Amino acid sequence: MLMFVLQRLARAVLTILIVVTFAFVTLRLTSDPTLVVLGPDAPPESIAAFRLRWGLDKPIWQQFFYYVAGLMRGDFGRSMLNGADVLPMVVARILVTLKIMLPALAIGVGVGVSAGVFAALKRGTLADRMIMFLAVVGFTVPGFVLGLVLVLVFAVSLGWLPSGGNDSWSSPILPVVTLGAYWSAVLARFTRSSMIEVLGQPYILTASAKGLLWQAVVTRHALPNAAIPVVTTVGLMVGGMLAGAVVTESVFSWPGLGQLLVTSVAARDVAIVQCILLLVATTMVLSNMAVDFLYGLLDPRLRSGLH
Amino acid sequence: MTQAFGETGGGAANALTDGRPLVELRDLSVLFPRGPAVQGVDLTIMPGEAVGIVGESGSGKSVTWLAVLGLLAGDHRVGGRALLDGADLIGAPNTHLSQVRGGRIGLIFQDPASSLNPVRRVGEQIGEALRLHRGMSGPALRTEAKRLFDLVGIPDAGRRIDLYPHEFSGGQNQRVMIAMALAGQPELLVADEPTTALDVTIQAQILSLLEDLRRELNMALVLISHDLSVVGEVCDRISVMYAGRIVETAPTDRLFARPAHPYTRGLLDAAPSLAGDRRHLVPIRGAVPEPWNMPPGCAFAPRCLHARGDCGAAMPTLRDLEAGHRVRCPHADGSGRIAAPAETGELHHAAT
Amino acid sequence: MPLLELRNLQRVYHTRKGAWGGKDEVHAVRDVSLSLERGRILGLVGESGCGKSTTGRMALGLEEADGGAVLFEGAPLPAAGSSDWRSLRRRMQMVFQDPLGALDRRLTIADQVAEPLVIHGIGSAAERRERVESLLHATGLRPDQGAAYPHELSGGQRQRAVLARALATGPDLLVCDEPVSALDVSIQAQVVNLLLSLQQEMGIAILFISHDLKLVGMISDEVAIMYLGRIVERGDPKALFRAPAHPYTRALLNAVPDPARRGPRPLLAGEPPNPAAQPSGCPFHPRCAMARADCTHIAPELKPIADGRLVACHLAHKGAAVAREAEAC
Repeated sequence: MLMFVLQRLARAVLTILIVVTFAFVTLRLTSDPTLVVLGPDAPPESIAAFRLRWGLDKPIWQQFFYYVAGLMRGDFGRSMLNGADVLPMVVARILVTLKIMLPALAIGVGVGVSAGVFAALKRGTLADRMIMFLAVVGFTVPGFVLGLVLVLVFAVSLGWLPSGGNDSWSSPILPVVTLGAYWSAVLARFTRSSMIEVLGQPYILTASAKGLLWQAVVTRHALPNAAIPVVTTVGLMVGGMLAGAVVTESVFSWPGLGQLLVTSVAARDVAIVQCILLLVATTMVLSNMAVDFLYGLLDPRLRSGLH
Repeated sequence: MTQAFGETGGGAANALTDGRPLVELRDLSVLFPRGPAVQGVDLTIMPGEAVGIVGESGSGKSVTWLAVLGLLAGDHRVGGRALLDGADLIGAPNTHLSQVRGGRIGLIFQDPASSLNPVRRVGEQIGEALRLHRGMSGPALRTEAKRLFDLVGIPDAGRRIDLYPHEFSGGQNQRVMIAMALAGQPELLVADEPTTALDVTIQAQILSLLEDLRRELNMALVLISHDLSVVGEVCDRISVMYAGRIVETAPTDRLFARPAHPYTRGLLDAAPSLAGDRRHLVPIRGAVPEPWNMPPGCAFAPRCLHARGDCGAAMPTLRDLEAGHRVRCPHADGSGRIAAPAETGELHHAAT
Repeated sequence: MPLLELRNLQRVYHTRKGAWGGKDEVHAVRDVSLSLERGRILGLVGESGCGKSTTGRMALGLEEADGGAVLFEGAPLPAAGSSDWRSLRRRMQMVFQDPLGALDRRLTIADQVAEPLVIHGIGSAAERRERVESLLHATGLRPDQGAAYPHELSGGQRQRAVLARALATGPDLLVCDEPVSALDVSIQAQVVNLLLSLQQEMGIAILFISHDLKLVGMISDEVAIMYLGRIVERGDPKALFRAPAHPYTRALLNAVPDPARRGPRPLLAGEPPNPAAQPSGCPFHPRCAMARADCTHIAPELKPIADGRLVACHLAHKGAAVAREAEAC
């Protein structure tokens, strides 16, 4: 058991390292931050000074070494644009992103799973087909299209809600709905198929044959089994939460992590980009590990090795 | 390991208190959109009796009992009556049916491994039935669950009720299923192919267990199988089903000694025996008709070696040959087995 | 020279106990020796976990043995996947239990029956069509059934198609692993008869693997009983059934349901064994009512008894074979 945990941790660290290295190398190789930050007309002395200050004159592997050394000390670098510490900037933005992500995820799970279960129980009926139609629309329509349409309708035409930014209490509503719609759709489909598969299993018939009322059969026998793949999917979604913000935050000018990533990449503000990528990689890896453990917890068939 | 419960083996039904049947199926039919699965089934089960239902695929043997207990899903219509102690189960409200299921009529199925909820401990699953039908809870419930495990011959009950289904072997899982079915103290146990998925030595153990339990608990048993010899060992009386109808009913000894219906004879001849002689088997040519493609008249006529002109005219009725021996064939005379003609050339052609 | 000879075959699987446990060694097949003459039928019987399917696959070279040898016409099988091995496929074929799974749902029956001919480059297109027609006819399928897809046929018809395909290249050896277990009794009889007729006509040797002792007994020239990866008894079916020498054989025979039985049936106690945790000595001793001291630590060898049968039991060699129902097991 201990070996297993250590192995997974080692693999997790390796994955994160690979992501960070890849990000580092790609950013440094694709273009020179100097010209982007200073502008194309910058005088040569400024360029040289800039490069010296940020260590860009050194060979790549040496830059990488300094970077990793810095990480070990907890130093994530500084923004090239304003010289501020990267980590506090990023952390502040995380909270802003979570302000739309968490409600969206809650909606996704609440609405999506319920709709999926309902559709499965009413399989073949009009209600089922309608729900599935909406679900397909929900995840095929790209986020930015839905977001823009919502902005057009509710912000521009009706003027009920703000079109962007984080200025009023009603600002999060549209972004949350956009994200929530997508996740509901995905989870509805997924939950429905998981539930249908479970409902076809012989043990459901056994439960009915025992004399349980249908409600009890569904809640005590079907749902716990159908939940297993759904819970693990949600776990993975949680891991991808931070990364999924990019498009939505751009559409709604939501000042969160996604927006910061976009602007930093455009400005070649490498330290910020690396920090964000490191963060995203870590959350995804950790959530993957958590999901693996969760699976073992939920499904006793996977635990047999412990006995 | 099974405990010794006393003498097993064929023979006498238990003494009946007042001669009233426990379960009576009258003209039961089950209709699906694609066609009839069960038609005109008349069957009586007396308390404590062991009745075997034999049929191949498409015979409707399982659908009959699922319909009686209201467990069929999908679009279907059930006709006729299924009387339990005189009260009709067909169309009864769900609340009543849920009391009957497990409480008065228990049901066990073919594949024990997938018939138990994989994520809940078996003790909990048995406990559910105990709570539902006998209002038990707490330590009394656990004690009773252990007692049921002992009753069905699962050793080390105290530890094993906390295990999950995948931690048992196939035979043990079937014992768990039986324990669960017995939890509600039903008067009738319907066992649908309970041993088909098990190894033959384990099958023998489970059949022996069912026999012992029946006698000890004075419980009626309906044993459904495609295997005549399995049913023959355990049951007092056998009904043979074909294409949704009962084609022959007789006491076990008589069915094997003097089968009247050509299909029954065909089944007996087609089954390999332990005589050890190397010979060709005697098959029944053709295949079971689909519900939507039933031939006119007798459903077995196209495959019957003794079919005559009038067999396709009308569906024969179930008539009495002797006491307790009924057959759905106008030409059967109950005189004994007629050796099947050696038409080996024709015998292995595939059906239409 | 026998057509197929299996000499001291071994097969060990290495598995992991659960998600986090250590390694386990599963001895699926231990020291199995069999020989099959041209045109004869050898029945291999056992319950789940006895290793009969694994033995069948090793006989065809579908699995590599971890020990021992498989000889076809006196020569060892070529390594799996090599071109020699592939060309040997036309001489040996397999028929599995699940006909639907064995057939490609997107090809017609006729196409699938023709496939082995195409793979081995046998005959021109016209000759292949003719051969497919005659194979379909021989297995009792009509031409319109040849044009159908697997899901449009019944179980029995599908198994006939599988048989037709297996016979396409005119093999000398057919390994059938539970070929009729999934079929209704009346259809079983049809397919088995078909198999027997074709076997006699074409002189094919068959290794017939099944859990159904009665069926195997009726069609085989020789029967071998397997338990926990070993052969425990082997010989003429009539002799085996009349006077089983090994206690497990006796238990199998006792377990066969018999409507004529009166009085209690002797039952084999205990659970089927776990191939991952094999007992020491004789593999059957934990369930054997007659086990003695040396049964627990000395594994019996497969040796001949008086009538020529091979039995792996210390007691069988000490005394005469006991009649079927005489001793409670």
